[in-house]
Amino acid sequence: MSVKYDPIVYKDGVRYFHRFSIHQRIQHVVLFSSVLVLAITGFPLRHASEPWARPIYELVGGHQYAPMIHRIAGSVLLALFIYHTIYWMVLFYRNDIGKLRRENNLTLRNVGKAFLTQEMVPNKKDLRDVIHSWKYLLYFTNRPPRYDRMSWREKFDYFAPYWGIPVLGPAGVILWWHNEVSHAAPGIVMNAAYIMHTDEALLAILFIFFVHWYNVHYAPEKFPAARVWLTGYLSEAEMIHEHYNDYVKVMIEAGLENEIKPQHFGGEKYEW
Amino acid sequence: MVKRIKKIIFKVYVVCLMTFTVWYGYFMYPLIFGFEGKEAAGLSLEKAVFSGSKEEKIFQQMAAEKVKERKKTDLGYRLIDQPYIQGRFHHIGFTLQQDKANICMRCHGNAPHTESKEIRAFLNMHSFYLACEACHSVPGDGEPPWQFRWYDKNTGKLSGNPRAILEIEDSYKQLQTNTENPVYGDYGLKISPVTTESGKASLLHNEKDMAMVEEYIAERDQLSADEKTERNNAIHRKMSESPVACKACHRGEEPYLPLADLGYPPTRLGELINSPIVAMLRKYDEFHMPDMMKPAQEREK
Amino acid sequence: MRSDGLIKLIILTVVMIMLYGQDTVVLAEDRIDCLICHKYRGLSRVDEQGNFRLFYINNDLFMNSPHRRNECYECHTDIKEIPHDKVDKVDCTQQCHIVEPSGDRYFSHKTIAETLAKSAHGKLDADGNPKPHQEDYPGCKDCHDQPLYRPLSAFKGEAKHGVSMRSISRCKSCHESGNFAKDFYEHVTSRLHKTRFSLEITEVCAKCHQDPEFMKRHELDDVITTYKHTFHGKMLEMGSERTADCIDCHVVEGENNHLIESKDVVTSSIHKDNVGRTCMASDCHTNASPNLAGFQTHVTYDREKYPLQFYMLVFFKALMALVMYFFLALIFFELMRRLFPKFAFFKDNTPHHFADLGEQDQQDKEDKS
Repeated sequence: MSVKYDPIVYKDGVRYFHRFSIHQRIQHVVLFSSVLVLAITGFPLRHASEPWARPIYELVGGHQYAPMIHRIAGSVLLALFIYHTIYWMVLFYRNDIGKLRRENNLTLRNVGKAFLTQEMVPNKKDLRDVIHSWKYLLYFTNRPPRYDRMSWREKFDYFAPYWGIPVLGPAGVILWWHNEVSHAAPGIVMNAAYIMHTDEALLAILFIFFVHWYNVHYAPEKFPAARVWLTGYLSEAEMIHEHYNDYVKVMIEAGLENEIKPQHFGGEKYEW
Repeated sequence: MVKRIKKIIFKVYVVCLMTFTVWYGYFMYPLIFGFEGKEAAGLSLEKAVFSGSKEEKIFQQMAAEKVKERKKTDLGYRLIDQPYIQGRFHHIGFTLQQDKANICMRCHGNAPHTESKEIRAFLNMHSFYLACEACHSVPGDGEPPWQFRWYDKNTGKLSGNPRAILEIEDSYKQLQTNTENPVYGDYGLKISPVTTESGKASLLHNEKDMAMVEEYIAERDQLSADEKTERNNAIHRKMSESPVACKACHRGEEPYLPLADLGYPPTRLGELINSPIVAMLRKYDEFHMPDMMKPAQEREK
Repeated sequence: MRSDGLIKLIILTVVMIMLYGQDTVVLAEDRIDCLICHKYRGLSRVDEQGNFRLFYINNDLFMNSPHRRNECYECHTDIKEIPHDKVDKVDCTQQCHIVEPSGDRYFSHKTIAETLAKSAHGKLDADGNPKPHQEDYPGCKDCHDQPLYRPLSAFKGEAKHGVSMRSISRCKSCHESGNFAKDFYEHVTSRLHKTRFSLEITEVCAKCHQDPEFMKRHELDDVITTYKHTFHGKMLEMGSERTADCIDCHVVEGENNHLIESKDVVTSSIHKDNVGRTCMASDCHTNASPNLAGFQTHVTYDREKYPLQFYMLVFFKALMALVMYFFLALIFFELMRRLFPKFAFFKDNTPHHFADLGEQDQQDKEDKS
């Protein structure tokens, strides 16, 4: 967090805009690798009676090792969840509460307000953007919505695991330590945990392998893969396409007001 | 130009992705709303297929012979995969292969002999590796003797002599105690008479006859009694009144089936002529029960 | 016709001796005699009921079974002559010639039949009256086919036939004669794990307990499907041999496996007073509390029987369907939008530059400040 990133860098004459710090990128790598491991060691078990289940399960360790691998990956994911929670709290404290304190404005109301303006917290604009994007998609307007630093879809993508892990994780822990849990809770808790774990996991898998992968892999402009998770920087064209408001803001802050390009329209410049 | 091609590729890609999206929607549906009921659906389907009116006895027979289920027994060091026959206690240990190529089997089933009580099981054993025509169809007067060849039970294609038949010789040599038996008979092939037309050999009953049988089965319910008889006669035109006698093959000199040419090794040939069963039957034939070796139709006469 | 049979037998014996030569002594009516015919694979017929009957005996597999020391006629007692007529069904409860080695009585499966009669699968109820649908209650063969030895091999790499010849050679240094060492080795090592793979046990139970007609007649739930939805069932499918199958839970630990009792019987392993102990059986959930038994194993997602599970399931399925189909539609339309990028019903012709923020963007600004 102490590392300062240039908001704009140039490479081969193209402007790149800073999106994710190395810290965040590492968190993402840990997140997706543990989720992939969890999916491959968990999904065959969910559909154990299907003919493909056993060969895949055998490939990832079989009944002897796959559960252990699953639990290790699950622990990593839970740890990451806790770490990430602390991470944004620290960021919030440093950037916003610290500022309020310096300005002697530290009231509950102000803290609440500051929280609501965090880049990941959904706000009224997101609701309007949802409606706007449907209007755009159904050809009612030719102007795509102008997103801020985080669009509503990215926020949803973010909250999918951020809601999913607290549902899946504890349920998984209950199933893992079923013998110990039975001393403290009735057996039906295991039934509840079982349903939570399997069905929420299915949602996560369905979502990641279609919606999220569409956003970063299948979409024509991203195919075969987006690179922002590696470099942390987004090209100018993508920035204009996806975060026009933020693009304008960053350009003004960098004093490049005269070089701001107009918003893409109906894909006229933005194809392959 | 390049831009145009790019644009077309782009549009094709987008359309493909749209199709993928729709497919994903279908794919997800059972995942989200569960797999439940799949087994039950399978069971009820089986019930529907295997139930039939009593008049359709032949069809019931065939249904009974169809291997409905398989049974796997995992011994840890060996997996026994065999057909499941209800009520059977002893293990089978091999696959019962249906003869899909022979036209007779379409109606008479794979174990067609039911009448002669004493020998029906033995006769059915023969239909494991002999086509019906091998015994029940003999050349007419003046016709040259049949040629015999092996054919594949699945595809009906003519084939060379089975390799497995040669291995019988070795398995005899490997026997150490008299409690062991060489196991043979599972070649996936059957012997059938063949006709040769312009140098090309084909089964006595070819695809045309099979088509005739299929048509008859499909239309049977709509046919009158007379029409049925007529069609039946047409289908059975190459069959002879009385079958080839057991002795015709189970003898040393000039067996009816050219066993040696069909690949039978010496030990097996010797057994075919001198097996205890054959000897036993021969004795009956000669001294005691002359009728036993004859099929039922002949006995009634 | 008795004399007829006798003549057959005499002829057969003569033939045998003639064929096998003088150095091989063939006793009439041992298995070799039967196999003269029954070794042929296609020996079969369709019986009067339309059932396919195969008369082939796989001697190789038979020699791998605990019954291998019995001759055919010891079970098929009505066969006295060769060739023989239709054969009666085998009565497993009859006494056979083998002396049970731990005692001095002749071996019989009678006690097992008696145990079965006391269990939920017995044909009579507690008062001795026949239960309805008599034909649905199982006999030996409904669950058992010929048992086969499945021995553990103590030495790695000698798992062929599940027998470690090195182990047997150690036995044989004292127990020299005959097959004694091999028989006992296989007998004991087969018992060191389950004689039948657990998945096969569930298949055996499924024969009746997953038959829709049967379940309807006896008002039973589909316990097989629901079992397969539990972790026990899933681990079995994945090949685990250390997971509970039907018998592990439905028989009191240490009790005869044939004593499966209804949950209403006080001695039953799944009676509400005992089920906690059943889960905590040795090798299973030993360090759990009896609470664990509160886990509802055979959950059918029936709204009345299992409301919690039902509503949770509905919630998650609804959530899944909502989220997924919303995004699917979104992506579909977005792709469609790309096909005709320039088209729109209402065109917004204001210049699209940051300097000319539209009305909405003004509002955005207000929101943020």
